[in-house]
Amino acid sequence: MIYKSVFSGLIEGPKQIQSNKNKTICSSQIQIENWGQKIRRKMTMFHFFNCAILTFGPHAVYYSATPLSEYDTLGTSVKAALVYLGTALVKLVCLATFLKVSENDGFDPYQELLKAVIGFIDVAGLYFALTQLTHRNISQNHKFQAVGLGWAFADSVLHRLAPLWVGARGLEFTWDFILQGLEANANLVLSISLAALGSLMWLRKNKPKTLIPIIYACAGIVATMPSITSYLRRGLGWHFPKVVGFELFTSLSMAFISWQLFSACQRPSS
Amino acid sequence: MALSKNSGGHRGMQESMYSVIALVFILVACVELCDAAAAIDVYRLIQYDMSGSAYGSRFAALNHHAASLHFPPGADLSRAVLVIPLRELNITFVREYINQKKPLGGLLFLLPDIFSFENGGNKQVHEKEQLKNLLAELEQLLIHANIPYPVYFAFENDEIDTVLADIKKNDAIGQPATATTGGYKLVIPTPEPKKVASPTITNIQGWLSGLKADGDTNQLPTIAIVASYDTFGAAPALSVGSDSNGSGVVALLEIARLFSLLYSNPKTRGRYNLLFGLTSGGPYNYNGTQKWLRSFDQRLRESIDYAICLNSIGSWDNELWIHVSKPPENAYIKQIFEGFSNVAEEMDIKVGLKHKKINISNPRVAREHEQFSRLRVTAATLSEISTAPELLQGTGGLYDSRQFVNETAITRGVKLVAESLARHIYGHQGKNVQIFADGGSLAVNPAYIQSWLDLLSQTPRVAPFLSKNDPFVMALKKELADHTDEVNMQHEVLEGVFTFYDSTSARLNIYQVASVTFDLLLLLVLGSYLIVLFSFLVITTRGLDDLISLFRRPPSRKVKTA
Repeated sequence: MIYKSVFSGLIEGPKQIQSNKNKTICSSQIQIENWGQKIRRKMTMFHFFNCAILTFGPHAVYYSATPLSEYDTLGTSVKAALVYLGTALVKLVCLATFLKVSENDGFDPYQELLKAVIGFIDVAGLYFALTQLTHRNISQNHKFQAVGLGWAFADSVLHRLAPLWVGARGLEFTWDFILQGLEANANLVLSISLAALGSLMWLRKNKPKTLIPIIYACAGIVATMPSITSYLRRGLGWHFPKVVGFELFTSLSMAFISWQLFSACQRPSS
Repeated sequence: MALSKNSGGHRGMQESMYSVIALVFILVACVELCDAAAAIDVYRLIQYDMSGSAYGSRFAALNHHAASLHFPPGADLSRAVLVIPLRELNITFVREYINQKKPLGGLLFLLPDIFSFENGGNKQVHEKEQLKNLLAELEQLLIHANIPYPVYFAFENDEIDTVLADIKKNDAIGQPATATTGGYKLVIPTPEPKKVASPTITNIQGWLSGLKADGDTNQLPTIAIVASYDTFGAAPALSVGSDSNGSGVVALLEIARLFSLLYSNPKTRGRYNLLFGLTSGGPYNYNGTQKWLRSFDQRLRESIDYAICLNSIGSWDNELWIHVSKPPENAYIKQIFEGFSNVAEEMDIKVGLKHKKINISNPRVAREHEQFSRLRVTAATLSEISTAPELLQGTGGLYDSRQFVNETAITRGVKLVAESLARHIYGHQGKNVQIFADGGSLAVNPAYIQSWLDLLSQTPRVAPFLSKNDPFVMALKKELADHTDEVNMQHEVLEGVFTFYDSTSARLNIYQVASVTFDLLLLLVLGSYLIVLFSFLVITTRGLDDLISLFRRPPSRKVKTA
């Protein structure tokens, strides 16, 4: 029983893909590719390659395009990724202990509330990564970007790499993996915004008084983003493309708002 | 709960175990995460050898693109599967393809719902008769041809209809589906079909003893009622043979039930033994009946007064036929025929007599009574069909489904046979006595007939695929045991003339595959997206000059020092 809840807690990502289609699961399909259709096999690897660069490409592009690469902040990103993994493990154990496994796929408010509370462990992990880790002398500006980048990369790898490896190489073509890649992009933007707001909250001492509540409100919204999306999917029954569109829109708007807040907070000190 | 009871040392170990198990579950779940656009049940064309010649579809595995009948002329179909719904079937086209041995990747026929038991219940379809005849013709074409590619049958449903509409649209544009243009791929991953080793045929007989008068040492005469219960059709997994010979089996069981009621009371027990036989091997020149008769000892065979064989009595209106091998002038035949005619007249049924001589040197046995006649036992077959069927024709194929059988016809047939037999047994010939009158305690039970007919219409009964202990055969045995004193089963091996191959049903997976051009296009789009993202980030964080400087060569030393 507990194993089952652990299972359901950790594979939220793959489960989303699974619940988006009604189908029969057949385990012998991997053998089909051994039928001498060598051309088709290379093509399905092609699709995997496409989806992989959509999912993981932006992280690499972000690293190389911004000054992060000049200041060699790779170590920070790696440390942030490790902190993310640790946080994921802690969340897993908490979910396993407190969460009941529900039979139907509907929206249960208590369970979702519990998941949201456990989601705040994410925020605690981010706090740990921003404040407690020893970084080399990197400016605040770059620190939050590196931490956000490492965080988002670890998230993508953990939740999206395995389904991609198995699913995108199959014969059947679906749009799901491309949508998953777009989701990874939105997640990157959200993580960086959250890291920015986090660094504003915990690392910057002199903030304009009026902006403080706005900062905390935005941070709260970004932190509860996973719960909001799961409510949209289960409670309102939105389809995957719609949910991904919503995520992209909110991530871009939150990024814009946090950019404005960050530059507003930066003005007094400069 | 167990967690709290453990000591602290175990706790850490269990938590790490959770994560390990979680990882294992992830891997297992990921391995199973593969699927198809649609997966439907399909049934394969029969594959058999007869006297060394190969017939039917010789392959089972399928992995080709789907094409419809609207393919552009001149297209290469050797790696395509033609999906043909029965309503659009052009039989000359298929015949041409098969007879001229044109290369084809596979054939998939879509049958309308009325031929399936679950869905075809009470639908009224206008062209029912037309479709039935078309399907019968197609079946005969397919079972007598040697087809070197897989042929499958499936029932129409919403999924396959949408897929077919899509395929037709693609074909109409003029682009047949190949590896580079996308479309649908049909995959059936089954192993190569193997021979069915020693196919068994099982005969079931039930014996109802008559009343022996005290002091009478002679053997009582016997009347035999026989029906063959197995079928043969183009798709063995769908050969339910509701009329041929489900109707005969149901009639036999009902007659057995009625006579067991009469014989249960010694006062009404007749002076005849009744022998009920459910034989197998019908489509194969009534091989089973022959073996069954040969297994009798001489005395029993000589004591059989006559045998009535029941075959296809489920869809007639007003006319039935009695087929005999002995000439109509023969006294016994006259007696039987008169008995039946008298009852038929009362019931408003017309009964005709058809005589066909048997030829012992010809192995072809068209009707069951001929096997009795070859051993000099008087016998007749009661059937709604007036002509003799060819080999493997009219043996309960695809078109013979529940929709086309009428329970009232079977009920009337049962009443006719039971009354005629009873009048003969109790010596009431010519008298207007209704033993099995409607509404009485001995009335024919339409509910019994309907429930058995429904069961038979859901059970495919091709003999080589029925094992010795098949649940259906056991059910027949049990039912006959309820109505008779003694039941015996005889297991024989089907003669070597026929060899059958397995793999009669499979699951078809329909994949929607994207073309190579789509993948290339996607790569182009993603490449440009990443380049735009890169430029955007460089401009916003480092400034436009940095972006331009990436493309310009670094300034030479000479300029710096100067």
